[in-house]
Formats: sequence, structure tokens, C-alpha cells
Amino acid sequence: MKIEEMSFEESIKKLEEIVRELEDENISLEDSMKKFELGIKLSSNCLNKLNEAENRIEELTRSEDGKLIARELNLEKEN
Amino acid sequence: MEDYSISKTKVYTVSELNQDIKRNVEAGYPDIWVEGEVSNFYFHDKKHMYFDLKDENSKIKVVMFQNINRNLIFDIEEGLHILINGYISLYEKRGEYQLVAMDARPVGKGALILAFEQLKKKLGEKGYFDVINKKSIPLLPGRIGLVTSTGGAVIRDIILVLKERFENFHLIVRDVNVQGITSSDEICEAIDELCEYGVDVIIIARGGGSLEDLWAFNTEKIAGKIFECPVPIISAIGHETDYTISDFVADRRAATPSVAAEIVILNKRETVEKIETMVKRARSLISSEVKIRKKEILLLMRRRIFARPETLLDRFNQVVSELNIRLERDIGANLKTVENNLINICRLIDKKNIIDKIYSFKTVIKNSDIRLISTVNNYINLKKSKIKYIMGKIADRNPVNILERGFALLYGVEKDRSIKSVREVNVDQAVRILLRDGVLSARIFDKIYKKIEPGFKNEN
Repeated sequence: MKIEEMSFEESIKKLEEIVRELEDENISLEDSMKKFELGIKLSSNCLNKLNEAENRIEELTRSEDGKLIARELNLEKEN
Repeated sequence: MEDYSISKTKVYTVSELNQDIKRNVEAGYPDIWVEGEVSNFYFHDKKHMYFDLKDENSKIKVVMFQNINRNLIFDIEEGLHILINGYISLYEKRGEYQLVAMDARPVGKGALILAFEQLKKKLGEKGYFDVINKKSIPLLPGRIGLVTSTGGAVIRDIILVLKERFENFHLIVRDVNVQGITSSDEICEAIDELCEYGVDVIIIARGGGSLEDLWAFNTEKIAGKIFECPVPIISAIGHETDYTISDFVADRRAATPSVAAEIVILNKRETVEKIETMVKRARSLISSEVKIRKKEILLLMRRRIFARPETLLDRFNQVVSELNIRLERDIGANLKTVENNLINICRLIDKKNIIDKIYSFKTVIKNSDIRLISTVNNYINLKKSKIKYIMGKIADRNPVNILERGFALLYGVEKDRSIKSVREVNVDQAVRILLRDGVLSARIFDKIYKKIEPGFKNEN
């Protein structure tokens, strides 16, 4: 599975797994270098995903023709 | 004295009166609901329940027999406000009447609590609360759905906590009435719309209130909607101590709406730090690993085998030289032994004796030779004379010699066999005669059979 396609949860879990594997004394040098590279890729995937979500607060209503539309929510008006 | 005999008016006996009243009253109230407060509650022998049902002005005796009261799902107690369903029954003997209870229900808060307990039991048995059905809340939701009242304080609290934990989030709010008759339906509709629009998690939230205020979240309808919803739902209703059916069915319960916001989105800063820490740790593990391996290699390289590899041969050299020594020693020993054996054997050999023996054998051989030669010569001579004799004999028989002596051979013209008998020829037959110095051709003139005997003179 390509790293970009992994969800945030999966990426972070795999990253934790890699750190645990690196702590294992029996790992070979080649393996640990490979895992380290993978770990770096995963961490940057996580950090990217964290910044992905748009910053929006909206209210959902159904218009007359039955469509659902989300409009910016203005709380002050509700008082 | 007045006449007290009233002939036209009916006069009852007490029994008759009580019987009559019983008939009338029982017919009039065969199945009624009565509301009141329980007092003088008697249930000491745990068999039949006896109590009074009263209001501010009046009271009535009630009995609930064992077969009814053992099916009660709530406890009837002194002072409880309840509804009784039953019939009026008159006890003739004492002229007393009572309400015989067939069913009892709590009124007011008690009723709600009871309904709550009953629904909780029912849904629990259906598996609505089972942990195995609960979905996990995504760590980083793309879109967060919120079902709440936009007019309340709850929505502000939630937004505040979200902003604190994460700089960028996408929140979609669906406004509903959180109490009242339409509330349950509105909430169900809100969940549907958010699912249709597309969100990764839904929070249902409202602030504190009484059991009646929160009642919309205790309906079977809401329970069903939450259970069926494919999107994970966090339920945050009322205060920490408030538990509603929606709290039990939801995939996660938050004690307060602020807690819901904390649950729904991770703390960005903390998570970034966590990731950075993990990367640092991985880096340090790798570099320490490399350092350790380097050390190992250097240590190995200092070992004798690498520094002075020729020492590897030492072992073999040693073996070779040992084998050499053994070889020389063993072969030497062998040679010595053989040599000794040879000397010993030589001693056994007596030269002179042997020469003498050789001489005598030579003589024997020579003598044998001579004898052999003379024997052979004799044999040859013997054979020679025999041959001479035989040759003489052969010469006698040689037909050519016979011819030399004057005899003749007779042959037929065609045949190559000599004619030996008179019978073999016919008169006038041509014949050939073989003499010592040539051949004659002749014809038979006459033949006479007569055997010639040796020693007798022939007469023709």
C-alpha cells in the first residue's frame, strides 16, 4: 500500500511499530536502515495529513428543492 | 305508638342489603384506573399486598394479590404516587369494599424512570449496547458533524475546545430542538442529513436538565437511529451523572460536551510532538546501532587473524612437522627391522654349502643330459630301422616296382580302376595294359574262368 494512501491512524500505528522494531536488538543493519527510511516517510505523511483539513465551521440545511447545503455558521446572530 | 310496619316499602336484611350493594357496585366499576398515593402499606408476609390509595380528601382500601404483585417491575412503597387498574369488590360479611388491583404503574418521575429501565432492558437484550457493535472514533476526522441547538452554550463550548486542540478543522452543525415533542424526530432527521452530506464522525450534544428535559434522548426511535448509523457517534448529553439511552447505544459516551470535543479530535500540538519524538528516537537508535557495529568491526580487525594472517598457517605447519617426525621415525624403525631380518636370514645362508650343492646338481644334470641324449639317440635309431623295414615293405608293394619286376596292370578304357577279375571284362571289350615302360591298347579275345594257385603249373 502506498504511504500516501494510508490513513492517519494507520500511519501513526506503523510508525510506532517501526520504533519498537528498531529497539529490538536482533534486527540487522540493513533492515534497520530500511525501516528508518520508511519511518521518515510515514512521519511526513502524518504531518501532511494533520495540515490537510480546511478550517471551516458550517451549518447544514435542506433547501426548498431538497438539496443539502452547508453555509458558514455565524453564531452571534443566533442570540 | 306509631305504626312502624311499612308494608309497601321493601325491607332488607343486612345480608340482602350487602348483596344488593355488591351487585350494583361491582357492576358499576368492573374495570377502572385510579390515581393516588400509597399509604398504610402492608406486605409483611410477602404474600398479598394491602394498602390505602388516597388523595387530599379521601382514601380507598386496595388489595393486590400475590399472583399480580409478583409480576411488578417496580416496588410499591409508602408515599409512592401510582396508578392502579382494577375493580371494586364488596366484602359482604363486613360490608366493606375494596379496590382489587390487576395492574399498577408509577406516575410522574417514577413512570419515566420505569420506562427508562424497561427500554434499557429491552435494548440491552437486543444487543444494542454490546461493545462489539461499537465503531471506533477516527483519530483525525476530515469532517465533524454536530447535532445540537445553535442557540445554546453547548455549541460554543465545543467550538472553543476544538479550536484549542487543532488549528484547522471542518465542523458541520445541524441545528435541532434538544427537548420537546418534536425533539426525537428532529435529532433522527439531523443524523440522516449529516450522513447523507458526508461526515466522518457525529457528536450529539446538549446541556444539563431534568429527566423530562432529557427525555428526547431516551426514546426507542433515537436508539434505533444511533444503532443503525454507519458513521461513529459520540453522545454527550447532560452532566456527568446523567445517563441516557443514547449514551448507552452510542459508539462512545462523553461525560460533557467539552469532553466530546476532546475525544473527537486529537490535540494537534501533542501529536506533532509525539511524531517528532518518535522520529528522534528512531534516528538515535539507528546512529547508535551504526556506532556499535563500527566498534565491532574495528575490534574484529585487530584480531590476530586479520592483523597477521600468516598465523593461520601455524597450525598446519605444526601438523606437518609432527607428521614429518613421525614419518622419519617410523620409517627408520621399519628399515632397521627389515635390515635386521635380512642380516638374520643372510646368516642362515652357508655359501660354501650352496656352491657344493650347485656343483653336484650340475653334475647330475650333465649325467642326465648324457643319458637323455643316448636314450634319445637309441630311440631314433630304433625308429630309423623300423622305418627302413617299413619302407622296404612299402617298396615291395609299390605298383611301379611290381611293374619293374615284369608284371602288367589292366585297366578299362574309361575306368581308372584296375581290372582284377575276369568277370570285370567282356569279350571284345577294349582295355588298356600298363607295362613298365608304356601302355598297350588291346581287345579281349577270349575269357576263361580259372583261379591260379601258387605253386602249381598252369594249364591253358
